[in-house]
Order: sequence, then structure tokens, then C-alpha cells
Amino acid sequence: MATRLQFENSCEVGVFSKLTNAYCLVAIGGSENFYSIFEDELAGAIPVVKTSIGGTRIIGRLCAGNKNGLLLPHTTTDQELQHLRNSLPDQVVVQRIDERLSALGNCISCNDHVALTHPDLDKETEEMIADVLGVEVFRQTVAGNILVGSYCAFSNRGGLVHPHTSIEDLDELSTLLQVPLVAGTVNRGSEVISAGMTVNDWTAFCGSDTTATELSVIESVFKLREAQPTDIVQDMRKSLIDSYL
Amino acid sequence: MRLEKCWFCSSTIYPGHGIQFVRNDAKIFRFCRSKCHKNFKMKRNPRKVKWTKAYRRLHGKDMTQDLTFEFERKRNRPERYDRNLAETTLKAIKKITKVRVEREAKHHALRMKGKKAKDHKEAVKELEQSIHLVKAPAVFQQDPTLTLPKMQVKVSQKQSEENNAMEE
Repeated sequence: MATRLQFENSCEVGVFSKLTNAYCLVAIGGSENFYSIFEDELAGAIPVVKTSIGGTRIIGRLCAGNKNGLLLPHTTTDQELQHLRNSLPDQVVVQRIDERLSALGNCISCNDHVALTHPDLDKETEEMIADVLGVEVFRQTVAGNILVGSYCAFSNRGGLVHPHTSIEDLDELSTLLQVPLVAGTVNRGSEVISAGMTVNDWTAFCGSDTTATELSVIESVFKLREAQPTDIVQDMRKSLIDSYL
Repeated sequence: MRLEKCWFCSSTIYPGHGIQFVRNDAKIFRFCRSKCHKNFKMKRNPRKVKWTKAYRRLHGKDMTQDLTFEFERKRNRPERYDRNLAETTLKAIKKITKVRVEREAKHHALRMKGKKAKDHKEAVKELEQSIHLVKAPAVFQQDPTLTLPKMQVKVSQKQSEENNAMEE
């Protein structure tokens, strides 16, 4: 069930938030609107944690995580690290790594079983990913882009990749990740999928510029409609009809 | 806020001090003051510059391997906050620094151990060999001891008057 929202007038929701099956990280904004929308959706199920990383708000692009763990760049301060460790459940391993490519959200894209990484990542970092996140790691590019973390977003049930991905690449990635993939856009034609939306197994959050078509594609590939079969009529209406005027 | 170590001299950098240089390969160099920064720009190797900790450790002037150093590591996997643990950690920090200071003093004492005896030996030898630099040869014939003996000078009245006239 996909929701449309904005962070302080920006539609790049995936930049300011990180959503997994076990927790949700949200940036600290001027108003509480962003945080409260996440809380509405997720409050009972998983903890929603307000944080900064290295004093910045672009947390979605700096960290990478799934239900098993969370990886943070070396710019994370000790206080932020401690705050995250205190706020997240104990099963989630919080780890700070020393890596030249410090925007881990742009370099690593993962679900609970598989991770795609930037081809230039260090060997130690790759081992750390496999250890902390408990995933199988593949060094790949998406549509010729090395920043796999930005140009594809996938959950345990489906994935959305850069619109210019060729069909062969799509098939190859699909077999690697073992999830159905679709090449599409978000936020009215933006190719940077992961920056425009954030997704887990039962919800997704997109920027408010996302068109109804894009939203229906997202809901079908990530299988979000099946989550609540009773609301299906209302949800489909919401995604298919932008406004009544 | 984190107290970092200077890359060049290994002293602690307090907030508001120093310069950080980030190289193109994303390696960060922190300097405590312009002295260290300028030495770095001159491409000096801290291991060869006498006043740095790196030199002192390398040349055995300061303690290198000790358990007390193991406690001060950068930890990347934190533990959940526990007030008791925090309290014991603070107490432990105090004790560990005390122990470390004592051990460093011991290391220094060990390093300086034979110094007093050596200095004394050298002083005696110098006295024997080089006393001619200090005393005139005539003195040795008059008095075998090395110190000037106290002589009683008989001063007559006439002489004292003469002296007074000279003083004026």
C-alpha cells in the first residue's frame, strides 16, 4: 500500500528516510509532518527512529540496512551511533564501517537475503556486509551505473530498477536476486528510484510527484495490494485517481 | 564531539583547534596545530622527527606495548546504553590512566637506570684528565690537594694604609 509524501517540499523521500522490515529511520525535519506520516503507517509494527548521520539529514543515502543489521559510514558520530543502538531492537546489529565510499545508501542495495554492491567496494567492506546484514553479496552495475544503491530498490517480494535497463540485464538481475524486477520510474519520470521512494515488504513511500501510473506499477511489482485485500477497492481508487478536478 | 589524535605528533586535538586535511583518496589527516601541519606539508616523516610520539615509540624512548593501550580503541559496534556499565567505565578510565602513568614512569626509570653511576664515573675521569684546563701548573707544585688551602696572610699596618690610598 503505497503512500505519497514530501519532506519539506522535496519529493525525494528515499533520501531522507530508510525503511526496512524491522525498523524505519527518518530524518529530523523542521516540522513533524514527515515523521508523523511514517508513524501513522508503521507505529505499531516497527520502531520509527528520528536520527541524523554525521550531522546531516540525508540518512537514506548514507546508510544501508535490512532486518538483520544497519551499516553506517565512518562520518557517523559516536553519539548518533549510540542513539541508534539504543533505539533499534537488539536483533539489529549496528555497525560503523571505514570505507572510502561513505555514501553506503548509494553503493549498497539490499533486501533480507541478497545485496547488490558498487563494484569498487573494498573486500573488507564486502565481508562486513555479508556478516552484518546476513546476505549474499553481488558486485553488479545497473543500466551501466555503478551506484546500484540509487538506481534500484528492491524488497523481498519485488524490485524496481532504472528505466534504461536492458531486458537481458533485467533477466540477469532477476535471477541473481530471485525476485521479479521491473524497469520503471518514480516521481514523474525520475530515474533515481531509490532516492525517490523507500519500500519494505508491506508498505512503500513515494514522493508526491509520483503519477498514478507509476504508483500502480510500484504497487503491483512490490505486491503491496495483496497486503490488505479488503481495502483493495479504496486503494486502487486512490492510486488511479489523482484528484477529482 | 570526539577527541582525535594529531596525525603528526599524536597529541589530542581539542574542539576548536587544528586543521583537518582530506586527501583525494578520502584519507583524513588531522593536525593539532600549524607546526604539525607545516611539517606535514614539507613531507617530513614523523618517525624521523625527534619530538613526535611516533619517533619516541619507535626508538624505545616511550612505552610501546602495554595492556593499558588496548583499552583506548575506536569501537564500531556499540552496546546498548547501561547506566551501571557507564559508571564502571568512568571509574575504570581513571584507574587505567593512573596505571599507565605509573608504568610509563617505571619505563623511564628503567631507561635512566645506570645514568647516575655513569655520570659520576665520567666526572671523576674528567677531573683527573682535564684539571689542567681549570688550574695553573704552579699550584700543583705548591699543594698536592686540588682545592685551594686556606692561607693565613699577615697584614701589616703599613700595607693596609697603602691599600687605602690605592683604593681612592
